[in-house]
Amino acid sequence: MSSSINTACKSPSVYGALVRIVFIFVAMFSVAQDAPFRVPTDAVAGQGVSIATTGRGSATFYLSGPSISLKRDVQLGQNIELTAKELQSAGRYVAVLCAGSCSSSGFFVAPGKPAVLTFLVHPSRAPVAVNDVISGVALPFDQFHNLVLASATVQFQLTPKGSAPTSRSVPTRDGVAWFRTSSGKSAGALQISASLSDLVARRVVQQVASDPCNLRIKGQRTAKGIVVETEPVRDCSGNPVPDGTIVTFTAKNGEDVSFVDAPVKQDVARATLLAEGSVVVSAASGVATGNELRLGGK
Amino acid sequence: MKMIFRQMKRHLRLNAFVVLTLLSSLLAADNSPQVTLDVSKASPRSVEALTQRAIIRDYKFAWANLDSAFQSNSAGPLNGLFAGTANAWLKEAVSSQQSSGITLHYLNQNHKLDAVFYAPVGDVIELHDTAEYDFEIRDGGKTIHNEHAIVHYVVLMTPGADRWVIRQLQAVPLF
Repeated sequence: MSSSINTACKSPSVYGALVRIVFIFVAMFSVAQDAPFRVPTDAVAGQGVSIATTGRGSATFYLSGPSISLKRDVQLGQNIELTAKELQSAGRYVAVLCAGSCSSSGFFVAPGKPAVLTFLVHPSRAPVAVNDVISGVALPFDQFHNLVLASATVQFQLTPKGSAPTSRSVPTRDGVAWFRTSSGKSAGALQISASLSDLVARRVVQQVASDPCNLRIKGQRTAKGIVVETEPVRDCSGNPVPDGTIVTFTAKNGEDVSFVDAPVKQDVARATLLAEGSVVVSAASGVATGNELRLGGK
Repeated sequence: MKMIFRQMKRHLRLNAFVVLTLLSSLLAADNSPQVTLDVSKASPRSVEALTQRAIIRDYKFAWANLDSAFQSNSAGPLNGLFAGTANAWLKEAVSSQQSSGITLHYLNQNHKLDAVFYAPVGDVIELHDTAEYDFEIRDGGKTIHNEHAIVHYVVLMTPGADRWVIRQLQAVPLF
């Protein structure tokens, strides 16, 4: 009984001490957890900020960000100034303040206004009259090369040679705006521009003739052989094919077959075939074939 | 007798070396970043299976190298898998770490990638990475910050000759 009384008498003091110790630990822990400084909530890349601190005495301030890592001695109770240069990169920063124990807090720096428009256009040369062959991707960046993720509308304008421009507005999504279009009917330069506010990026796609279409050949026998040539070689839209396009001439004389490859030069491909007797001459380029030409022997 | 003893000693050393090497490689494998990629939302181009594998491989290596660069305060590991802005930023960070004496540690990395944009001709891909890792900042040998962080990154990757490189690695509060 006495023992229980004694215990009862001792208990309050033991519990009191325990409560006090726990309270001190909780208080210390909460001080350590509650950062004695306030990080910015709306920081923007390239703009300096102030971090207010509380308390007294000296401390060490650390900042870790996407492109920075700094350590600085500071006085508690005074503002910690972060310069525009120290906050150029958008992303997550962690600020740590150590005065005995360390407290930390994270904050984000948002990208600034668009200052550069990266514009990727493909291909640089596109055959005419092909569906969805030309595409462009525009990405706005701020002056510090941070990708601007806030939605903005990019105006794409396509101006074919000798035709009226067409345009379309595309809002950026996740920092990207893009378009895809078919090539025109006529060969020539296609000017493509992407604009966002006063930013403009220009690219040129050279539209070139597609594969040859409807080859026509003519020829005659001469002392040197059979001279054959095509009529001006054009694609199915009527555009002359580029110089250097290969036309294959074939001469058949029964079982004997001979081939000659000739490049188009100034719209026409020419070749001399060394075949004797009665021959059938034909021409092909890509998937296009031409008429047959029958020439009798000497 | 001495010869036999020497040979036994040599065998023991060799075995110990092999065991240590195996253990270290196993531990290294465990600590390497875990990366998964979901391409179901990718548009306008769909991501080919081979491309998926290459992106996972290179993204994983890139983060392992990033951790290595920040741990060792050396920009060397950043060459190869980071290009453009990402490369410049990370090198600046490592360079400023060298002067401040701080090191960063990205431990137990887990990256959940979602492809949100894949350009029509496949020359750029945008990924959203929900990264989870234990992040430590150390000054000398003292840990001054330690957290289990979940960070959202907007990532731009472009194909190189034989790999995909990270051009933009930008953390955002939310996607």
